[in-house]
Amino acid sequence: MTDYTKTYWQYISSGKLCLQFCAACQKYIFYPRGLCPHCLQPGLEWKEATGQGVVHSYTIVHVSALPDFQDDTPYIYALIDLAEGVRMPSNLIDCPLDQVRINLPVELVFIERKGKTLPVFKPVSTA
Amino acid sequence: MFQQGRTCIIGIGELKPTLDAGGRSTLDLMAEAAAKAIQDAGFHKDDIDGLLVTPPSEDSYFLWPSQVAEYLQLSPIFMNMVELGGASAAGSIARAALMVDAGVCKNCLCLSGGVWDKQVFNTREGKTAVMSQAEIDYDLPYGPMGFNSGYGLIARRHMAEYGTTPEQLAKIAVDQRTNAMVNPDALFKKSITVPDVLASPLIVDPLHLLEIVRPCSGASAVIVSRLSPGASNNHSPVTIQGFGEAYTHNSIAYAPSLTDSPIKLASQRAFQMAEVEAKDIDLVSLYDCYTITVLISLEDIGFCRKGEGGKFVEDTDLTYKGSLPCNTHGGQLSCGQAAFAGGMSHVTEAVRQLRGEAGLRQVKNNDLALVNGNGGVMSTQCCLILGRG
Repeated sequence: MTDYTKTYWQYISSGKLCLQFCAACQKYIFYPRGLCPHCLQPGLEWKEATGQGVVHSYTIVHVSALPDFQDDTPYIYALIDLAEGVRMPSNLIDCPLDQVRINLPVELVFIERKGKTLPVFKPVSTA
Repeated sequence: MFQQGRTCIIGIGELKPTLDAGGRSTLDLMAEAAAKAIQDAGFHKDDIDGLLVTPPSEDSYFLWPSQVAEYLQLSPIFMNMVELGGASAAGSIARAALMVDAGVCKNCLCLSGGVWDKQVFNTREGKTAVMSQAEIDYDLPYGPMGFNSGYGLIARRHMAEYGTTPEQLAKIAVDQRTNAMVNPDALFKKSITVPDVLASPLIVDPLHLLEIVRPCSGASAVIVSRLSPGASNNHSPVTIQGFGEAYTHNSIAYAPSLTDSPIKLASQRAFQMAEVEAKDIDLVSLYDCYTITVLISLEDIGFCRKGEGGKFVEDTDLTYKGSLPCNTHGGQLSCGQAAFAGGMSHVTEAVRQLRGEAGLRQVKNNDLALVNGNGGVMSTQCCLILGRG
């Protein structure tokens, strides 16, 4: 496993979603890499994300061939546009299937799945 | 510079797709298809001096073109493997045309095929085998269902942006099935209706089972040569008028857009090379791993405006009898996806139509065909324009 992949998941285990940031480009990137994909230079910093985002698109998985998920169907697999300007795949939880929609504001929450901490999202509470 | 119309497809060979390869390997299937194409061209095996292959279903890619050449006992002066996912087949035709046009080789055999193995396909290993490391590290933990969920995301976003309906998407599968009903080699030939498609199980909402390609086994071979008018061959020549490619992403999560695909640029480049426009095209053979793939292809190639694909397919007869015949063999949705040969079925069907050899499903106007190969999740695109004579 690469150093940056390890770092990403270590941050996640400590309850932080951190993204790489290129100071020269003034851009966040996702997924983590050894070099900034825009300027191809090393020296990416890690910055904690706000955890705010919106649903870019989603699909409700009814049939899963992945053993970890076969008992969890139907579940929402979604692309989240983070406030930092990057897009990441994740799950939407605590959301009735008929309430999910594109552009739904969501916020970060951590769950444990098969012994691994994962960054997922839930609808922003309107209360 | 590549010259339009100077190269041609002189031979095709395709195995009838099957769910069970009957103990045969990718190499066995490829060899059977190669023999058919060589016979179709009126060639002898020794006439083949170029070889382009797509990867095997089995594990060992190592020196794959060399493995294929050894099995077929060929001694090519040029060979390579083309790996552009579903665009590999169309991409291999474009590359063969370039090599033949440049005089590097005379007759280039483009071979694709694969064996579907149920034991491997529906497992975690089967899924990770077609994922990048970035997808395994940062996507797999959330339960993506491979290509299904990728195209599900696209369909959902297209519906939200443009009001595309499930009924409109289903119509694509229905029209293609009408085509398949007169194709003796199709895997699925039972008539279906829009309600049938919508009543089939939701796999990844909003995509239903009958909107999703069925993997199978098979192989396909195409021989690209320089056009030599008057050469003895049993068929009308089919010329390669132009091609275009475009690439913007691997995973759909990191694509510039979910609903605008690189097909737009690929087709524009192909039209420019061939010096024709969308309105000149008589029939299309569009990569159809899912219904949404066809709808976005039609929009991005320019048969209708962006966002109006739903209305367009609703109002247009896409069957072999219609105004824009599309996937007249039934497409992969009705013929199955024989690994990398699934994409080649769009080439071989266009050739049959342009030759006037499509039998009961022969279209009336057959001067110019557009073929599109699509790989990944709208990731790799290769568009070909093929002409009659």
